Amino acid sequence: MKRLYLVGLSHKTAPIAVRERFALTGETLKDALTALHRRDGVDEAMVLSTCNRVEVYARAESDGPVRRFFLDIEPEAGGHLYAKLHEDAARHLFRVAASLDSMVVGEQQILGQVKEAYGLASAAETAGSFLSRLCNRAFATAKRVRTETDIGRGATSVSQVAVELVEKIFGDLKGRAIALVGAGKMGALSAKALASLGANRVFVTNRSPERARALAEQVGGSPRPWEELTELLAETDVAIVSTGAPSYVITPELVKKVMKVRRHRSMCFIDLAVPRNVDPACGEQADVYAYDMDDLDRVVHASKSARAEAALRAEAIVEAELMAFAAEREARAALPVLHALRRQAEAIARAEAARTLQRVGGKLDDKGRQSVEAMAKAIVNKLLHLPTVRLKDAAQSGDPALPGLAAQLFGIEPEAAVEADPARPLPAPPPAAVAGATSLPENR
Amino acid sequence: MTVVVLRIAALVYALSAAAYVLHFIRPRYQRAATAGQALLTVAFLVHAVSIGFGCSEFGGAEFFNLRGGLGMASWLAAGALLLLLRFQRLPALAAFVVPLVLVGLVPGIVGNIGSHHEAVPEVVRLPALKLHVSTAIAGVAVFAIAFGAALMYLLQEREVKGKRFGVLFTRLPSLQTLDQLTQRLVRVGLAVWSVALVTGMFVAEKAWGKPWDPQLLFAVVVWGLYSALVWMRQQGIHGRRYAVLTLVGFAIIMTSMLGLRAVPELSQHQGDFGRKEAMR
Repeated sequence: MKRLYLVGLSHKTAPIAVRERFALTGETLKDALTALHRRDGVDEAMVLSTCNRVEVYARAESDGPVRRFFLDIEPEAGGHLYAKLHEDAARHLFRVAASLDSMVVGEQQILGQVKEAYGLASAAETAGSFLSRLCNRAFATAKRVRTETDIGRGATSVSQVAVELVEKIFGDLKGRAIALVGAGKMGALSAKALASLGANRVFVTNRSPERARALAEQVGGSPRPWEELTELLAETDVAIVSTGAPSYVITPELVKKVMKVRRHRSMCFIDLAVPRNVDPACGEQADVYAYDMDDLDRVVHASKSARAEAALRAEAIVEAELMAFAAEREARAALPVLHALRRQAEAIARAEAARTLQRVGGKLDDKGRQSVEAMAKAIVNKLLHLPTVRLKDAAQSGDPALPGLAAQLFGIEPEAAVEADPARPLPAPPPAAVAGATSLPENR
Repeated sequence: MTVVVLRIAALVYALSAAAYVLHFIRPRYQRAATAGQALLTVAFLVHAVSIGFGCSEFGGAEFFNLRGGLGMASWLAAGALLLLLRFQRLPALAAFVVPLVLVGLVPGIVGNIGSHHEAVPEVVRLPALKLHVSTAIAGVAVFAIAFGAALMYLLQEREVKGKRFGVLFTRLPSLQTLDQLTQRLVRVGLAVWSVALVTGMFVAEKAWGKPWDPQLLFAVVVWGLYSALVWMRQQGIHGRRYAVLTLVGFAIIMTSMLGLRAVPELSQHQGDFGRKEAMR
């Protein structure tokens, strides 16, 4: 019996040293995919390879070939692998696509990467109708999660918060200047993030001119002497302060002087130093905005907990979509049940007509014989008319209950129905809500 | 007929305002903003039809009183907003201005527009008066949008400075955008207002034989205030103080338009002259 298997490793189970061994891209990935597809018992396969995870989704007889895919590349990888099957594998894919399994929950790239993985698999013709339906459902799930929850909202790192803040004050930074005061590592990161808003001048100043020069090179700015801090700030719109000084470097008096020189154009201080380098009283002046590490951290925490809350709702969406996916599969079983039912009924009609004709056929002419056969057929057709209509409706509306009940009621052999549907890969019962309705063969 | 059409316009404005406010509360509903803009366009057109009916019914005299004037100002404000939205995607601004437009329509809906249209005085035919009325109304309309933008600035500044980073923080545009928008609107408004002021004095001289009227005092104060704002901007002053003064200026306009009428016999301005002329 072909089923959906997932074998993979991710940032949750494997360190980067292991993950980088599986960094498959381009042609290598395509070749690996084709090789996997050619293995025994593998019907369809897809490989999702990002810097945080490598996962293989395959419709296969067992997970053996998929495991071998990993072990062939890195024999030691066994301990880092996780495997899921049927519905759990589908759920995992839905969660991954919706960015619920990401390192930073709610990040945007993963959906694109899943789409890419599917695109590659279908280009290599290793993805068939089942993976196609599964992936489309996963994309729909991800889209629903993104539009119906706040999972992608809010900044999740300090430098991202700094960028958001500066955006709300200045719009963009075109034609504006950033100054990096002090040589802290966080400062350099934030300066780089801010430079992405379009600032055309980045200044770096430090007590030691050598470090200022080195850092300026690193962030693509120009060094300025520490002694000219006042003049530098007068030219600057956003100052990122992270010196190792144990006390306030930026005092209200200094800011007052600076603001006078710059004719009260707005100015923003981002203090990344602990202990603080910018006196909080500076922010009380008009058109001066000052934030310290605590302010930024608070935003990071708030958006992280908001995302966690959104993730709860997202999980519910995943479950609902999983159910819908299962129901869709069940509904596809409606047509095979219908065919089996008709076949069985017609066989009975034929047999009964033959039996009757055997007993009384001698007394009838040709016309009479034909009438008997026609009558048997007509009874079957009349009797099955309504069930046929209903089953066709069920197939269209995706109602999973009726086909199962019909199979039970008319005593149709389950295998007959299942085999008739080659695209029926997951015999596992669907989740709770529709479990009662799935009275199809494999449940009994 | 005019009032009926005007009521329809008000209804569509209300729907547009509701759509914009919904989008403001739930930015995820992109379609709400699109619907808001479509409804605003429809409302603007229906309103135009109502103004057209008004002109044919009352011969244009209805703009010379408070109700018609405010309605006209609302129409111009809606038009200016639509124009602005073409160049800048600012659905948040619409969430603030469209309700304001709706408020401007209220007197026209509840009252009877053509209550004293029988007495169309001689001065109404002065071209200078037409210019005065239309520029004054346009000025009010532009200042109304500036009022909305300045209000948004103050709300956003409170968020940014108070480190709240709440709902408004994410939904309102940046301080820079709002500040620049307010400043530009104030400049445009001042230019239009200047024309209204000069033509107003000229018409008053002709109609009453004296340019003096309490309304004039207010108009001059408003002109002075907004001129000071433009001058302040040259000096680099901006932000909070600029926004507060923009609000104050619009408050003075509203006070002069509504307040002066509350005290009878104080001002001859705004349609009263029609009746007085007739009584004389």
